[in-house]
Amino acid sequence: MAAPLVEMLGIEKHYGPVTALGGVDFSVGPAEVVGLLGDNGAGKSTLIKILSGAVSPSAGEIRFMGSEVRFRSTRDAIDAGIETIYQDSALVEQMSIGRNLFLGREPTRSLGPFRSIDRSYMEKTTRELMNRVGIMKAIDPRTPIASLSGGERQAIAIARAMFFEADLIVMDEPTNNLGVEEADGVMRFIREAKEAGHSSVLISHNIHHVFQVVDRIVVLRLGLRVGDMDRSQTSIQEVEELITGRPRPRG
Amino acid sequence: MTTTLTMGARLRRQVIARPEIIPIVLLVGAWIVLGLVGPSFLSFANLGNMFAFIPEFGIVALGMTLLLTAGVFDLSVGSVFGFAALIMFMLVNDAHVAPELAMLIALGVSMLIGLANGILVAKVGITSFLVTLGVALTVRGFGLYISEGFPEDTLTGESVLKTLLVGSGDIGSLTVYAGLFWFVVLAVLTYFLLNRSPRGNWITATGGNERSAIARGVNTANVKIGLFILSALLAGFAGIISSTRIGSAYAISGTGYELEVIAMCVVGGTSLYGGRGTIIGTVIGVILLRSIRNGIIVIGVPGLAYNMFVGLVILVAVILQALAERRGRVGL
Repeated sequence: MAAPLVEMLGIEKHYGPVTALGGVDFSVGPAEVVGLLGDNGAGKSTLIKILSGAVSPSAGEIRFMGSEVRFRSTRDAIDAGIETIYQDSALVEQMSIGRNLFLGREPTRSLGPFRSIDRSYMEKTTRELMNRVGIMKAIDPRTPIASLSGGERQAIAIARAMFFEADLIVMDEPTNNLGVEEADGVMRFIREAKEAGHSSVLISHNIHHVFQVVDRIVVLRLGLRVGDMDRSQTSIQEVEELITGRPRPRG
Repeated sequence: MTTTLTMGARLRRQVIARPEIIPIVLLVGAWIVLGLVGPSFLSFANLGNMFAFIPEFGIVALGMTLLLTAGVFDLSVGSVFGFAALIMFMLVNDAHVAPELAMLIALGVSMLIGLANGILVAKVGITSFLVTLGVALTVRGFGLYISEGFPEDTLTGESVLKTLLVGSGDIGSLTVYAGLFWFVVLAVLTYFLLNRSPRGNWITATGGNERSAIARGVNTANVKIGLFILSALLAGFAGIISSTRIGSAYAISGTGYELEVIAMCVVGGTSLYGGRGTIIGTVIGVILLRSIRNGIIVIGVPGLAYNMFVGLVILVAVILQALAERRGRVGL
């Protein structure tokens, strides 16, 4: 395997006496899609929050593109090239598509002594980007997010990660609350992102969705890594058993 | 596309896209009614008089609009309004500090109060209602204590500040006060900040979906702290203009302004729940509520019925906003 894009080594996170992560190794290779699975409380969210800079680990090391990194904020992780798409919280409903796409990284031009958002660039780029992720309907970039469907919203969140050339796109439950067709669309975007050279981490309760797109599966249980295997070498049944920690009756 | 829409649907779409439309219609309606019932309402003398008061609320309302858009509000603006002027007048009259320096100190104190609000809300994590209520009482009480409950007299001596803050000039038969100039300048600046600058995007995102804003790398705590400082600074500045115009500073001046100012913002189309704010709407909201207050007196409604009319106008405005919003969400 090529040198990993990101390597998390011996990651621990303690909240007082509670151990959320008890020394977890996790890595993602270049243009690799990794599924991160586990039951509620297994530590998936904590691991992802550490990777995206929202939470700092109690112990352990993160190496990104070969060198050690220490993220003190989500901004640090974004600047390093890690985009995280949280479920439901990726976009600001009251704001337009264009303003959401560029939130935190607004293109500007000077207006006298001030910096003003370059709206014509923002709207033009938004149109191009929506085409690229397969939103063929002519939607005005000034449309508020609130009037889009769930699938369109996920598409825009993923488009944003792709546009900003994130090396690693982390998706927390991207198919939650989506219809079948919309979920398929999201799966398609993940494949397209992979073809374009982006790596992804996909967290989902839906093992079937995960099996459709991932190259590798990592399973956490009670804050420990209990499985790490190629998708082609495993089965849904084996993964389910790892998640719950007990063999499932065959039949 | 528009050809398939009925007239009503098109109108509704416009109202949704432009939250300022409802307050504009109400303002025009109010002026027509008031002008017909009491023709002296629309006289230059009366309008000039009305616009002398507008900046003092309006400047405070600009800061409040930004805070509401970011999903917080500030109940201490009325106290800061009174306190900043009191500090300035006491420094000049009792400590013989130059008025210009005294004003800078008073504005600095206002900003510190805003900083305290901001840190308690954004860093300690207490809801802005409780923080700013506590700060409002503390500041008001401290002002009463140090002034022993008496108003501070007129600023002694002449100063160029008086011209800058409360001077006036005649345009034809319309008298325009310096306060109006400051209000216009500050409205243009805050409009640019909210609608055109990257920071405006952060402000709206902070109030619209804070977790999302944080995930995008926006430092929402600093956004809120900065806005609390700005809001207090504007409230202090407005208070200094007001007291300089009246000629005395009193610890209780500005009492109740916080709620009136929030009403002006909401009537203008800014959401109390964050994520949607309009400076243009606020300017209209300020003029609308002041017009009602002024007009009611001009047309001779009994003084005791006065608050009833103001309350009814606020209710009509917010009901119309709610109805428009139910039919679709407002974008920016």
